[in-house]
Amino acid sequence: MSKTLNRRDFIKTSSATTVGVATIVSGITLTTFAANANENPVTNEKRWGMLIDTNKLTEVEIDGMVSACQQENGWGSEVHSTGDQKPTWVRKLKVQDKATGKITSLPLMCQHCEEPPCVDVCPTNASMKREDGIVLVDKHLCIGCRYCMMACPYDARSFVHEDLTDQREHMPRGKGTVESCTLCVHKVDNGESPACVASVNSDAVIFGDLYDPKSNINQTLKKVQSAQIRADLDLNTGVRYSGI
Amino acid sequence: MNIRYEEIQGVSLGFYALVAGLGVLILAALGAVFYMEHHGHYVTGMSNRIVWGVPHVFALFLIVAASGALNVASIASVFHKKMYKPLSRLSGLLALALLAGGLMVLVLDLGRPDRLIVAMTEYNFKSIFAWNIILYNGFFVIVAVYLWMMFERRMNKFTSKAGLAAFSWRLILTTGTGSIFGFLVARQAYDAVIMAPMFIIMSFAFGLAFFILILMASYKWTERPLGDAVVNRLGSLLGIFVAAVMYFVAVKHLGNLYLAENAGVENFILFDGGIYTQLFWYGQIILGGLIPMALIYHPALRGNRSTLGLASIFILIGGVIQLYIIIVGGQAYPMEMFPGKEILEGYGGIAAYTPSLPEMMLGVGGIAVALIAVTLLVKFLPFLPESLADEIADPHHKS
Amino acid sequence: MYRLVAILMVLLMGNVFADKHADHSNLGEEASSIKASGKIFHTDGLDVIRKMHPDFLNHKRDKTLREGVRTKEGSLKGCVNCHAIKDKKTNQYHPVNDKDQFCSTCHQQVSVSVDCFSCHRTTPRKGTK
Repeated sequence: MSKTLNRRDFIKTSSATTVGVATIVSGITLTTFAANANENPVTNEKRWGMLIDTNKLTEVEIDGMVSACQQENGWGSEVHSTGDQKPTWVRKLKVQDKATGKITSLPLMCQHCEEPPCVDVCPTNASMKREDGIVLVDKHLCIGCRYCMMACPYDARSFVHEDLTDQREHMPRGKGTVESCTLCVHKVDNGESPACVASVNSDAVIFGDLYDPKSNINQTLKKVQSAQIRADLDLNTGVRYSGI
Repeated sequence: MNIRYEEIQGVSLGFYALVAGLGVLILAALGAVFYMEHHGHYVTGMSNRIVWGVPHVFALFLIVAASGALNVASIASVFHKKMYKPLSRLSGLLALALLAGGLMVLVLDLGRPDRLIVAMTEYNFKSIFAWNIILYNGFFVIVAVYLWMMFERRMNKFTSKAGLAAFSWRLILTTGTGSIFGFLVARQAYDAVIMAPMFIIMSFAFGLAFFILILMASYKWTERPLGDAVVNRLGSLLGIFVAAVMYFVAVKHLGNLYLAENAGVENFILFDGGIYTQLFWYGQIILGGLIPMALIYHPALRGNRSTLGLASIFILIGGVIQLYIIIVGGQAYPMEMFPGKEILEGYGGIAAYTPSLPEMMLGVGGIAVALIAVTLLVKFLPFLPESLADEIADPHHKS
Repeated sequence: MYRLVAILMVLLMGNVFADKHADHSNLGEEASSIKASGKIFHTDGLDVIRKMHPDFLNHKRDKTLREGVRTKEGSLKGCVNCHAIKDKKTNQYHPVNDKDQFCSTCHQQVSVSVDCFSCHRTTPRKGTK
């Protein structure tokens, strides 16, 4: 059925990762063959993750990560929401060690847990984890009960408190549903890095497949000391930090 | 002695005034919902830190009270106490009405109440919330069947079996409601198994307080006889329940203080939490606990219906306050994200929350829905015995 | 009961074909140009896409969101890009779910609300990636 329902704009906008061959058969049918990585469902052979080195990452770079995320996903320009009502997909945190007084700055977003509490509590399966470890909100199913926000140990989720228009084409967002960092899933599926990672011009933030022994993130994690936030909860987060 | 049940007449000016007054409250609540849903939740006091506000306080208060209101019927049909039998029908009705009111508030505070059908068709069986949806719906069915068996003479013989089923179901239901909080491992204010039994004992107290008020009011306003035996028995039971709630509250807080991880939030609620500390001591403990117990147990006030009514009202107000402290206070205190570290910037601090008028209107509207359902149904169906005078209601009455 | 359902279905079907003779001023710019060129985009026939588009969209949404399948078939972006029209005066796109725009003409007639655009963008994308 869907094979014949082709999109004319496919030809116009076919991206670099898409190899499209269009043939016009007798001027009526447009048939396309795409040999594309994201034609197939993602699998659990990959687990996407991020490693953030707080010793290398400057405060300016963290601010840059936040605004790159806003730019990419279109949050942060809400007009009515005030104070804590404003959505926050990623935030800059400053923490101080109580004993040594050492101050560390770090970006905090959805940690993409392997055992996400938000997914466990969601009554409608709207809160979900993809096979490759990315935790998302299926806004088609979200009824806005906000139980996931109660359950998240990282305060990583936001509720949209007002009507939105002019959303990004790749990032639908709407009043009355919950949202959070998607690890820029639309970019990852096209072989790109998340916007916040791309905004940092050093190896202070590494993105990649945690399972792949050849990946930079896998090899670095084997070498350096790293930590998970609230490791005591045993959630096995996809976002790791070194230097805290 | 045979009990005769009879509809109330419901033609007096007072009856219509009551219905009209409740109707106004319900319309106000619906208006508030329209306003909140049209604009979005930014018009409320809720935020991404206080994600559940006053609507959840009232919703959970009513749901907890609903399961407790069924106790009177359970005492009759499960524990075979004859004196409670004539009260069973009202008990079942009140349970359904309170649950309907609570669920209305809960649903109308959703971000997308228009998608309620999704909640009924998509179940995540790992979610306590999803289980609660099943438990609430099941409660309606089971209590409705239970009521039918009480009403239908041919079915009377099954009443105690249905009562047992309803009693078990309500225990599970309140356990589920308490577990909404009990299983939130990330939050120091909630992560405690004691939440479930505490919610059960809270339901005993709130449900009975509602029941006593409605029983006394309906018999007074319809000028039907209501003997001291019934009222005093219910009164002393209420006193025991209130004492039990206080015991659970004490155990929960002492247990929490013992854990260093939870000491912060405990100190916040008990000692330096500003409004939450004041609400805890003055509202929950003194107004909702100590004063009602004094009113019920003081020898000079024994058998005094005005003070029993007052005690019931205080227990209900204290109950709302208790849920406010649990729900809002528990969220206001920040989560412990970095043990051993202090968060200087970006997160932390006490979250601000000021309940907005529409939220309050929605919450009060839930109570009004419960009350109007009771008011109308006792007019159309024979829920209330025509007399609860001592010689009829008290099996040990000697004249 | 079945008879009632059948009657209801027939009535609904009637509505699906209701706008066959309607004017196509709101067909959308790209869709109009395809039509003018004599090509056929929805090769299964218009009645199929009219009847089945909710299924296509729902199927696609689950594939994309839950499995990461990002092909163009059945993509809502495609619908919007093709069926939006620009206001002649302001040179801005009308949202496709505005009154009397492409999605609304039928949906108004059959009184079925469109939930897509409480979150999805209603006009073709801007220059931003």
